[in-house]
Amino acid sequence: MYRDQLDMLKNLQALEFTAVDLNLYLDTHPTDQRAFQDFQNIVQQMESLRQNYARCYGPLIPSDAAHHATWRWTEEPWPWEIEY
Amino acid sequence: MEEMMQVRLRLAQAYVPVQVYMQRWDPMKALSLGTIFPELYRPYYGREHERRG
Repeated sequence: MYRDQLDMLKNLQALEFTAVDLNLYLDTHPTDQRAFQDFQNIVQQMESLRQNYARCYGPLIPSDAAHHATWRWTEEPWPWEIEY
Repeated sequence: MEEMMQVRLRLAQAYVPVQVYMQRWDPMKALSLGTIFPELYRPYYGREHERRG
């Protein structure tokens, strides 16, 4: 896996982690508007980065595979095949 | 139980302060530290660390 691809993947994982932590906070603070806006913002960045990644390197989730001309899901490395 | 009644010990009461969202670390830093919330960052140092003081 090339450096650029790995960097993009790591950034995506960092955004996903932030979304999960905000998710946990919001579960106990459902009326915190500022946290919710932050969550929306992170999710937006996450989705756009994931789609961008999919365009450049292939799908990360099965539904992204629908945007390619052919079925590329099985061409991607498995998570344990990636060397960080 | 009997002993507890004799010395009139109270049952435990747990209290968790309500977290207020103030700031969060940027996603990369948060991922490496394990939380987005600076106020929840409490790294665990094992025994080896303890021995060294």
